[in-house]
Amino acid sequence: MQPEQRKALESKAHWVRCKVLEMAAHAKSGHISSAFSQTELLVALYHGRLMNFDPKNPRWEKRDRFILSKGQGGIGLYPVLADQGFFPSSELDNFAGRDSLLGVHAEHHVPGMEILSGSLGHGLPVATGIAQIGLVKKQPWLVICLLGDGELAEGSNWEAALYAGSKSLSNLVCIVDRNGGGVIGYSDRVEFPCDGPRMNPLDKKFEAFGFEVRTINGHDFGEIFTAFGDIRHRQHKKPLMIIANTHKGKGASIMEDKRLWHYRVPAGNDLAVTCQDLGLKSLPIGGKRVKAEQGE
Amino acid sequence: MASTKFILGMRDAFFNALFEFYKKDPEVVFITADNGAPTLDQFYQQRPDQYFQVGIAEQQLIGMACGMALEGKKVYTYAIAPFVTTRCYEQNKIDICAMNLPICNIGVGAGYAYDIMGPTHHTVEDLTIMRALPNMTVHSPADSYCAEALAEISYRNPGPQYVRFDRAGVPEIYGEGNHKFADGVLLTCPGGPVALVATGIMVHQAQKVATELAEAGVKARVIDVCRIKPLNTERLFEYLKGVKRVVSMEEHLLTGGLGSLLAETFSDNDMRLPLLRIGQNDRYVFDMGGREVIWEKHGLDVVSMTQRILRWVK
Repeated sequence: MQPEQRKALESKAHWVRCKVLEMAAHAKSGHISSAFSQTELLVALYHGRLMNFDPKNPRWEKRDRFILSKGQGGIGLYPVLADQGFFPSSELDNFAGRDSLLGVHAEHHVPGMEILSGSLGHGLPVATGIAQIGLVKKQPWLVICLLGDGELAEGSNWEAALYAGSKSLSNLVCIVDRNGGGVIGYSDRVEFPCDGPRMNPLDKKFEAFGFEVRTINGHDFGEIFTAFGDIRHRQHKKPLMIIANTHKGKGASIMEDKRLWHYRVPAGNDLAVTCQDLGLKSLPIGGKRVKAEQGE
Repeated sequence: MASTKFILGMRDAFFNALFEFYKKDPEVVFITADNGAPTLDQFYQQRPDQYFQVGIAEQQLIGMACGMALEGKKVYTYAIAPFVTTRCYEQNKIDICAMNLPICNIGVGAGYAYDIMGPTHHTVEDLTIMRALPNMTVHSPADSYCAEALAEISYRNPGPQYVRFDRAGVPEIYGEGNHKFADGVLLTCPGGPVALVATGIMVHQAQKVATELAEAGVKARVIDVCRIKPLNTERLFEYLKGVKRVVSMEEHLLTGGLGSLLAETFSDNDMRLPLLRIGQNDRYVFDMGGREVIWEKHGLDVVSMTQRILRWVK
């Protein structure tokens, strides 16, 4: 990867995080930490053009189908889609407000969104249906499904994984945003009774289900691009699972890998600290710039 | 013809009729959750690219149907009735109804059709929960003629749909003829100031009850509600003209079922008709011995229902 490209993408990822914070602070709602863990993945897919799409024709027949299964991450996808021109950026300013196009959870009527999500464990089964039709019709497009690792506790994912592996859905590319965090607990930690079920060894699980598995650092553009380098001409006739190790709340010191921030919007001093983390002196909230130190 | 249909039952009458559309239209696809039927083999034998088997995995059944519908397919899913309704209810809500997709769920074993299989296989809450879903159309046919007609009705009106079938061996109500099944409400037995409004297997019971009532001097008409949602109120009220009392009859929980639907409809339309709701109370049924035993023990047999109606009328 060229340094200039990496720099441009990193800069875009930074902009996305700032926008997410701004939207959430304005609406006093939104899953910031979930959006921050997936940021580089989305920026790579869209701004890095790892996917084929046409913002002027969101239902373009030859597009790659992107399924956001972790619907809580909607707030992190909206800036990306708006920046690509799927809908006007002004919509971001009215996130979850009256008559807003954009809800807290991803909805299928938003240009660029394929499905309604927010209840977890739905995306992968739907993705297998799309992929299966793509194979039957011998289409070159791919189905790219972004999952949260917390939602892998939903059994429906494993029903879908069983099907995808059995039927060799080679046009299915899954990404797990492996931030380890759920709502109240972390998988693969045993600190407290509130910690979630063990996901490890996640790679072995998907391999056993018939996937080709690649594990990467989900915040590193170089690794993301390497993982996606051959997705249109892979040798394996298997579905692909990219386990992207990430940090929930990446880039915000009060949130990063911290409990309690799954669904929480910083205010007051917390907001000021988060602005500082992102290098912001102030945040435009509700059409006016609010100094970071003043918080809400 | 009628004798052949008797053996085939509702499900197979439907599948045979559906096959004609399936064969001609490559956009029609069929997904089964490891459920078969004698009439289903032709689907994968003749059009293997339109037939998919997910195994005993109903969340996957509906989720995958959603993906295929998003790609422009008209999807039919198939499982035993409880497993395509209660088992994957949220998939019905989100993957079908909220996105308003052309997916038709076929469930076999309505009510106590799977009598001795116990509560896991009894399907006596499906009308309630499926009609609670916005955009969902709910069909509850009483015989194989209606079931056969539903193949074309479901194909011509793509959208979220649920069709509940009884098991094989249910006799016919209609026979050959020009029946308006697309109306969703049919008058199967005219006349009388008492209306027995029934659905599914209970249309058969209602006809027997009407005969018994006539012998006791009470004239009753029988109305078949073969489409629970949307309810054709215009046709229903047309068939209720001159009626003084209404009895709803369903092999289904009373909570939210056909009787509830009528009560809601009467209330919303300022219809002040006395209504007796016959169905199952708030309980699970573990009785063995067969469907007739269940009916007898729970007041759904012809004698019990006739006596109850006579007491209510007099």
